Amino acid sequence: MEERFIRQTVLPQVGTSGQEKIEKAVVTVIGAGGLGCPVLTYLVEAGVQQIRIIDCDVVGLSNLNRQFLHTTQDINKPKVQSAAEKLQQLNPQVRLELIDQRLTVENMAELIGAPDVVVDCLDSIAVRLLVGEYCLRYDIPLVEGGIKGFYGWVTTINRKTPCLACLGYHAEMEETEIPVLGTTAGVIGSLQANECLKLILGAGTPLTGRMLHYDGLSGSIDEIALQINPNCPVHSKLC
Amino acid sequence: MLEVRLFATLREGREKVYFLEAEKYKVPADILDELKIPHEEVAITLINGRHSKLDTSLKDGDLVAIFPPVGGG
Ligand SMILES: [Zn+2]
Repeated sequence: MEERFIRQTVLPQVGTSGQEKIEKAVVTVIGAGGLGCPVLTYLVEAGVQQIRIIDCDVVGLSNLNRQFLHTTQDINKPKVQSAAEKLQQLNPQVRLELIDQRLTVENMAELIGAPDVVVDCLDSIAVRLLVGEYCLRYDIPLVEGGIKGFYGWVTTINRKTPCLACLGYHAEMEETEIPVLGTTAGVIGSLQANECLKLILGAGTPLTGRMLHYDGLSGSIDEIALQINPNCPVHSKLC
Repeated sequence: MLEVRLFATLREGREKVYFLEAEKYKVPADILDELKIPHEEVAITLINGRHSKLDTSLKDGDLVAIFPPVGGG
């Protein structure tokens, strides 16, 4: 057993076979920003070797309060490239596919592909909804997370469980320049990475059918049970 | 009794959870007015975990969850 992973392979939920699952898993991470940085870091450090990263942005100065894979030297560099340079150092065995393109309805299948898990780290509700529709249609487990200020949420979605459209998220909710503390992104991104690893390992109980809500101001975590909406525009198209 | 749970910024200056008399609140909009939550600050309203509108009828024992938009990444 490789020494690099010894502190996790001693866990009964991981072990040699779990580590093999992690190393064989294929994950697409959409967004290499506030959530993407912790997600990518923990997936690579856990030993996930095949990761596709999608992000069409370049690094900007106002990203650096939270996006720790990018540094002052990376300003104006494509985020996928900047992230990849650090991730390769974290684990040189990682095989990253970098996609420096904007996701659209037309290129969704080509860009996301058919991974074992998609982790959505986007800042756009409209594109999140498209990603959700794609993942449900092709039955790819999706880990969603969102942040604002001191608050964030995480939920895991599959065909049999409520999606963001079920809850009433719609494209007009779009906000830009969303205020956020770096630590909020760190907490929620770490929880998303944890969900992704759980799905790969088949360990624990996924956050399906429930939303975990983090409140960094009061220092508390709540959970709310979710139900599929019979009128959901995504779910109603599936059957 | 209705259990009302507020999330994210809607908690600021308010409580996280309220228990309200079911008779006084017919629809979620009545709850927002009672708690002085501007309707435009609300993105998602769930009744017992299911999507609802602000004019969906409430009944005794309902759990109402109210979220502002939280979609950053
Ligand atoms: Zn749905």
